[in-house]
Amino acid sequence: MYYVLKYIHENIKERLSAEETARQFGYSKWHFTRKFYEYAGMTFVEYVRHYRIQIAALEILSGKKITEVAFDYGYDTIGGFNKAFLKEYGCLPREYVKQTKESQGYYERRKLSMYQLTQRVVNLREEVVNKRTYAKKYSAYRNVYYTIGGDRALKKGLSSDEVVAEATACVIDNFKPFIAPGELVTGYNFADKPYYESFIPNRNEKDFQILRDSEIPEADIEECLNASEEVRNWNFLSGVHLGKKIPLIPTEEEMDAFNDRAALGRCISSNHSVIGYEDVLKLGFEGIYKKIENFEQKNGGGSIYVAMKRVCKASGTIGEKYAEEAKRLLATEEFSEESAYVKKDLELIAEVCSRVPRYPATSFREAVQALWFAHLLNTWEDTVNANSLGRLDQILYPYYKEDLEKGLITKEQAFELICCLWLKLYRDYDVQQSCVGGTNPDGSSAVNELSYMMLDATERLDFVRCLSVRFSSKSEKEFVKRALEVVGHVQKGVPFFFNDEVMIPALISKGITEKDAYGYTQLGCVETLIPGKTNPHAVSGEANFLKAIEYVLCDGNGMKNPEISCGVKTGDLEQFDTYEKFYAAIVKQVDHILDITCSMVRKHTDTVNAPKPYKSMLTEGCMESGRDFNKEGALYDYYQIMFEGVPNLADSLAVIKKFVYDEKKYTLAQLKEILEQDFPDEAVRVEFVNKAPKFGNDIDEVDRVAVELVDHACDVLEELSHKYGMSFHAQPFTFLWMIDQGRQTAASPDGRRCGEILAYSVSPMQGRDFNGLTAVLNSIAKFPTKRTPGTTSAIVEVDPKLFTDKNIGILTDILLAGAAKGLSNVQFNTIDADTLIDAKAHPEKYNNLAVRVSGFSQKFNLLSPELQEHIIGRTKHACL
Amino acid sequence: MSVNIGERIHEECGIAGKSDKNIRGLITDISRCSLHDGPGVRTVVYFKGCGLRCKWCHNPETLSAEKNMMFLSAKCIKCGRCLEACPQCHTVVDNEIQIDRSKCKHCGRCVESCPAGALQMMGREVTTEELMSEIRKDSHYYETSGGGVTLSGGECLLQSEFAAALLEKCKEEGIHTAIETALFVPWECVERVLPYVDLVFADLKIADSKKHKEYTGQPNERILENLKRLSEAGKDIIVRIPLIPGVNDTQEEIEKLGGVINTLGPGVQAVEVLKYNYLAESKYQSIGLVWENFGKETQSEEMLEKIRQQLKTITGLEII
Repeated sequence: MYYVLKYIHENIKERLSAEETARQFGYSKWHFTRKFYEYAGMTFVEYVRHYRIQIAALEILSGKKITEVAFDYGYDTIGGFNKAFLKEYGCLPREYVKQTKESQGYYERRKLSMYQLTQRVVNLREEVVNKRTYAKKYSAYRNVYYTIGGDRALKKGLSSDEVVAEATACVIDNFKPFIAPGELVTGYNFADKPYYESFIPNRNEKDFQILRDSEIPEADIEECLNASEEVRNWNFLSGVHLGKKIPLIPTEEEMDAFNDRAALGRCISSNHSVIGYEDVLKLGFEGIYKKIENFEQKNGGGSIYVAMKRVCKASGTIGEKYAEEAKRLLATEEFSEESAYVKKDLELIAEVCSRVPRYPATSFREAVQALWFAHLLNTWEDTVNANSLGRLDQILYPYYKEDLEKGLITKEQAFELICCLWLKLYRDYDVQQSCVGGTNPDGSSAVNELSYMMLDATERLDFVRCLSVRFSSKSEKEFVKRALEVVGHVQKGVPFFFNDEVMIPALISKGITEKDAYGYTQLGCVETLIPGKTNPHAVSGEANFLKAIEYVLCDGNGMKNPEISCGVKTGDLEQFDTYEKFYAAIVKQVDHILDITCSMVRKHTDTVNAPKPYKSMLTEGCMESGRDFNKEGALYDYYQIMFEGVPNLADSLAVIKKFVYDEKKYTLAQLKEILEQDFPDEAVRVEFVNKAPKFGNDIDEVDRVAVELVDHACDVLEELSHKYGMSFHAQPFTFLWMIDQGRQTAASPDGRRCGEILAYSVSPMQGRDFNGLTAVLNSIAKFPTKRTPGTTSAIVEVDPKLFTDKNIGILTDILLAGAAKGLSNVQFNTIDADTLIDAKAHPEKYNNLAVRVSGFSQKFNLLSPELQEHIIGRTKHACL
Repeated sequence: MSVNIGERIHEECGIAGKSDKNIRGLITDISRCSLHDGPGVRTVVYFKGCGLRCKWCHNPETLSAEKNMMFLSAKCIKCGRCLEACPQCHTVVDNEIQIDRSKCKHCGRCVESCPAGALQMMGREVTTEELMSEIRKDSHYYETSGGGVTLSGGECLLQSEFAAALLEKCKEEGIHTAIETALFVPWECVERVLPYVDLVFADLKIADSKKHKEYTGQPNERILENLKRLSEAGKDIIVRIPLIPGVNDTQEEIEKLGGVINTLGPGVQAVEVLKYNYLAESKYQSIGLVWENFGKETQSEEMLEKIRQQLKTITGLEII
């Protein structure tokens, strides 16, 4: 019978009958049938079908077409084959292939993403996100002792470097360590509201309340409240106060440009950084101290070194204070059997914190704790805001790998630690960006197990976490798909996507070395920098391109604010007898707006700048040059200039070209009147909206205008970099300021009413893109993204249905194709308009609903009604 | 092949229309980034004109082989520009714009005058090259996702010369091609496009020919005949059944449809059932047609699953 089976196997593609086979082997049919059943446990026909389908299934899995296989194996119709297959496998061939491929291909990935939140993490999450028991504690400590330290230093007449160092060190020396039950990463940093983050306490009821809750000794509170006027007026957060958007001594023109919201120059020199975390992990503050001493000697000393040493020495002690606190709790608390794990936690904390951050980290656990302390101290220097973390998967991976190999940690424990770190970073408004993924200089992928784990933690914790993904069209599809899955599952617009293929060349074009460019990361929303080497002066200048229309139509004067004249006098409207002449005048105005923006940034930089000894110590270039982080000490020191209203200007020019020049339906003078009167005839407004092409629909004639404008602006920034002796990086990004700018901008020919919001960054004007996702991506990818190292940012509204299991593969393909076309930065909003409308009406139902606002995600309930409307307006209704 | 094939075809299918021998097509729309009309990311071209008059048609604006003017009252801002542009068709009654379609000559003046986009002309003539320049815009996305172009409608095979020319260009550029057809056309039309089609979505509506005529205006013999020949020609076919409440979604009707599918031969790869779409009502109003009410409820997920299971058991095919 063995030979019978062998015969069947060899002739499986032929027509086989029991009779014929029996004859071949010299059996009678009846005898053969019985013998076969005894041997094989099934009838001849059953066996043949069983074997045939199994072999066929293997061929199908190997990639052969199902139809071909069916015919090969003697089935006349696919239906017949499928029925047989259904009987054997309980599913159809196509489903079988899909299921098998999924279980094979996804196996590796699923091994990584199957982690569940531990009970500990669930409890901590509840505390951090909902209960907020310890919410205001940190802010009081930080602010009281910062004030005291600064005040004492000023009274001693110390240098400004030392004032900041003393202020920060005073916090480290005097804060009360606090270990929350169940936490594995310790160190408290939570400011309930931005106000509590940085305030100099005053004698008022609001502040008293916070101070009383904090357990700060009465004498210290008194000293703080009695602090000198000098320290109260001292600008620790120079440049960051958004109200102070103008240089200290503006020219009349600059003042006008500011008031008209055409140009704004500030100098963001505080709380926007990514420090060199690797130094803290590899050297410890002990090692860094030695490094400072070396350079101090080499460069002949100076107050900057004294300041760095002061803050470095203090920084080294933060771990020990927590270790002591853990030991105190171990000695004083009683531990039952149930709380035995708390005892174990405390022992671990005591052990870890007695090493880091003073000494180098020797394990994954120590690395995570040291990194958190390093970040905590950075935020103590100049508050949380957009002080960011950088490429966490890259920084931590060597420690993880080593521990795993040595068997010191399990994957589950590592995942739990990442969750604990994520919980430390939780804030309502969180722009403490971190980044996973990316490409190595040799072209290989930088994605590792931690990259996946961090995506998993973001997904499982399900709160807004500022996280970005670096990818390229050559990235492994699985990783990009996983990241998109998280966007779809979390529904909060995180993570967001940065395309290495354009970002790296863009950075290299600005003089950043290739090796460093490959290490880029983001801070805050979308601001790019090289971690530990850069002072990027994020969002330092704002140029409102749309103002060019007003200034050309009104010969240099404002239209919304006619009393203002800060545009170039481009002459009477009659002389613009061709579109080209009109366009040339627009360009002249844009050039001028950019120049004023940059000149204001320059002045700001010259006038205000608080030193940053902590950041200087952890930013390459400062120690070496003896110059502070804020005195051009960083290896890479540049200023990011935002472009606003670009899509609106392109759309407006398309309208003018069509109606004024091609069809001659309106004269420029008539157009001016229409805009001045804010579209007295609604028919004209909707005509402008509907009857001319709009940016974002992949229509070359209008997209090209937007692209040319940005390309030209990049040229202008090059010239201005020389003129003002500083490096300007193009950043076509608006943050939230398209609201403020829009408010002061007259009605525009794109059909935008006076005072209405501008388009977000380079996204199409809300509600004006109707050609589908690929068209939007194509339009955005046309920008010269290799010239805009500040990222060409866009929020793309995507139908939530695209994120379902069925479609996510295609969405991944779309994103990868977009990357090949040159997309720079894409963020997704995935909530349909109906949900948002309901959320606006019934906020109580949507406590955890968050949306992509502008380079960051925010709970929908916390947004102003105006912003809520904007987001609803730009959101697509779910398609049929 | 007769010079006047286009005219003969239109005559045979009982609708008025011009010959398409000069390779200009009449389409209503081109829609990008569709995920429902074949594999991957697809660009869908909606052809105008159809020989059937299915009472539930959810693209009624594509039925006529002539242009029609569409009025979207929700977009109308009552500016009155259409009254000036075309006073014979447009009047104001009770502060609402009223259109007398019996007088409409499809001159397009009102459409041009309408600033709000409330008046739109359904149907524009295009060349294959014009369409190709739109189609090419997403070629990157077709490549990564395995997508391509789908001709839909209307009945794309009524303009088979144009369709073939367009599909041939797509194949020359390596773009995957699919057509969505009701197959109510002479076989020559099908044959004409076959060399350039990778995948056919073929509608199958009602098994019984008499009932088919009642609901679509035409018997189904020709359709079934074409389906069989198509299947024998070795084309990959996905049979699509639009489920209409009470008409063809009962157990009995599905049973019959399954039986029909079993006779179709080897080309049928899968069957797709489409939920009833009642949202077309406003479209009927906007082009001045009467909407046949099949209720405002679509099939529930459970019901769909049941239908899928039933069809799977009968045909042994994958049911999408």
